[in-house]
Amino acid sequence: MSKGINTVRASTIALLLLPGVGYLVLFFGLPLARVVLGSFAGRGKDAPLATLDAWQQLFANPVYLDGLWFSLWLGVAPTLLSLAVSLPLSALMQANESSRRFFGSLYRIPLVVPGIVAAFLVLVMLDRGGMLMRILTPLGLGLPKLVRDPVGLGAILASSWKTIPFMTLIISGSMAAISKDVIAAARTLGASRLVILLRIQLPLARPGITAAVLLSFIGSLGSFVIPNLLGPTYPLPLSVHMWSEGFQKGNWPLVYAMGTLLSVMSIAVLLAYYFLIGFLNRGEAEAQRLGARPRAGASRAPEALNANPA
Amino acid sequence: MALSHAQRTQVWVGVGLYGYLIPILAVPILVVALWSFYDPAVGWFPPDILPRSLSVSAWKEVLADRQIIPTFFLSLFVSTVVTLLTAVLAFPTAWALAQFPFRLKRVVEIFVLAPMIVPGIVVAVSLGEVFFSLKLAGTVFGVILVQTVGTLPLMIRILAATLESIPNELILAARTLGASPRAAVMRIALPLAWPGFMAGGLLNFIASFEEFEKSFMVGAPKVQTLAVRLWAYLGGQILVLPTAAVVTFILLIPMLVIFFVAERVMREDVMAAGLGKL
Repeated sequence: MSKGINTVRASTIALLLLPGVGYLVLFFGLPLARVVLGSFAGRGKDAPLATLDAWQQLFANPVYLDGLWFSLWLGVAPTLLSLAVSLPLSALMQANESSRRFFGSLYRIPLVVPGIVAAFLVLVMLDRGGMLMRILTPLGLGLPKLVRDPVGLGAILASSWKTIPFMTLIISGSMAAISKDVIAAARTLGASRLVILLRIQLPLARPGITAAVLLSFIGSLGSFVIPNLLGPTYPLPLSVHMWSEGFQKGNWPLVYAMGTLLSVMSIAVLLAYYFLIGFLNRGEAEAQRLGARPRAGASRAPEALNANPA
Repeated sequence: MALSHAQRTQVWVGVGLYGYLIPILAVPILVVALWSFYDPAVGWFPPDILPRSLSVSAWKEVLADRQIIPTFFLSLFVSTVVTLLTAVLAFPTAWALAQFPFRLKRVVEIFVLAPMIVPGIVVAVSLGEVFFSLKLAGTVFGVILVQTVGTLPLMIRILAATLESIPNELILAARTLGASPRAAVMRIALPLAWPGFMAGGLLNFIASFEEFEKSFMVGAPKVQTLAVRLWAYLGGQILVLPTAAVVTFILLIPMLVIFFVAERVMREDVMAAGLGKL
C-alpha cells in the first residue's frame, strides 16, 4: 500500500512484535505447551516417555467425569441466565436517553467488583440466615438451599452477577448503533414494543449477542474462586480439581489432562463461533444494508462486532 | 387514565432498570455495609432484618491487623507495576499490528487473543508449578509476571484499535518533513494513542487489583494480595462475616473510586475494541 517512506523491513516488524508476543510465548505459550505435553507424561522413575495414564484416569473416574459435566454446567447456566436478563435490560436502555445515561453508569459497577466479592454478596444475601431468608420467613415463605447446594445455584447467581453487566455492555452497544429511524418507522407502521424487540433489535444486534455469549461462557467455564466458595462439595468443577490434585496431591499429569481438556473445549467453542458467524454473515450483510447504520458519535461496537473475523 | 406512549415507555424503563439495580446491586452492598458495623456485644441474628446496634469493632480489628495495611499497599504496588509493564510491552506490538501489513499477521492476532480464550486457571496452575522450580513462587516478582499474562492481551488489542484510527497521513507527513521513524512514533503516535493508554491502563489496573487465581497459585501463601487475603477470610474454617465485610470494603473502595473517576473510560467502544472483534 504505502511504499517508499513507510516501508519497513521484516526485521523491524519482528523487533516491534518481540516484547508483547515474546512475553506471551514465554509465559503463556510455553506453559500451555507444557500443560498439553505434561498430560501425557508418566509418573514415577521407570515411567514411559508418553502414556495415556492421566487421560484414562480422567475419563474412567466418575468423580472427574462429574466434574467435567459440572464445569460445563457452570459455564452454560450463568450464560443463559445472563442472556435472559441482559437482553431486556439492553433493550430498555435504548428506550430513553436520560435514564440510559444514569442507569448506564451504575449497572457497570459489578465489572470492577472482584469475583470473590460477588461470592461474598451471594453468601450474605442467600445463605442460611441471610437477608433474603430474614425477609421471606415472616411472610411464611421458605427458601431452598442456595449456597453449597447440589446444582450450584449460588455459584451460578454469583457468576451471573458478574456476566450480566458484561453482556449488557456489549449488547447495548450493538443496539445503540441501530438506526433510530428504523425503530421509528416500525412504530409508525404499528409495531408493538415486543415486535420491535424481536423483529428488529435482536436480529440486528446478533453479532454482539453471539460475541457476548461466547466470552461469558468461556469466562465461567474455568472459574475457580466462585465454585470454590459457593459450590457444593460434590461434584467439584475441573478448575477446583486442578488445584487440589496439583498443589495438594502433586498428581500433575492428571492436572494437565484437565487443563488441556478445558482449553480444548474453550477453543472448540471459539471455532464454532467463527463458523457460526461466517454462516450468519451472509444473511447479516442483507440486514445490515437495510438497518444498522452506525450513528455519528455513537459507539463503534457493532462495526467491530460485525467485522468478518476471517 | 390513559398514558401516552412516551409516558408508558418511561414507566417500563423505570420499573425494569430500577427493579434490577436495587435488589441486585444496592441492597447487597448495603447489607455488607451493615455487617461491617456488626456489634459483637448485641449480635445480629435472624429474624432481625436490621441490626439492633452498630459498632466499629470489626473495622478496628481489621485495621489493627498488622498485615492488612501492608497487604493493601502491596496490592497497589503490584497493580501499578503490572499496569506500567503491560503498557510498555504492549505498545510496540500494537504499533506493528496497527500500522504494517505483514505475513502471519492473522496468526499473531489469534495468538494474542488466545490468553483471553484459554481459562486463566490453566496458565495459573502451570506457571505455579514452573515458578516453584524456578524459585519464583511466593515472590512479588512472580505475581507481577503471572498477572501480566492476563492483562497484556487486552492492552495490545485496545492499543492496536486506537493506533489503527490514527490517520496514516499524519505519520507520512511527519516522515516527509524529515522526522525519523523514531521521532514520528514518539512525537505523533504516542500522544495520539493516549486515550487508549488511559482506558487500557485503568482496565488493567482494575483487572490486576481484583485478580485472584493467578496471584493465588503463584504467590500464596507467602505473597498475598488483597483479593487472596479476602479468600482466606471467606474460605477458612470459621467464616467471620463482619471481618470479611470490612475487607470487602477495603477491596471495593479503590475499585469504586477508579470507576467513578474514570467512568467515561469504560465506554462501550473501548470494551468493544478490546473484546468485540474476535
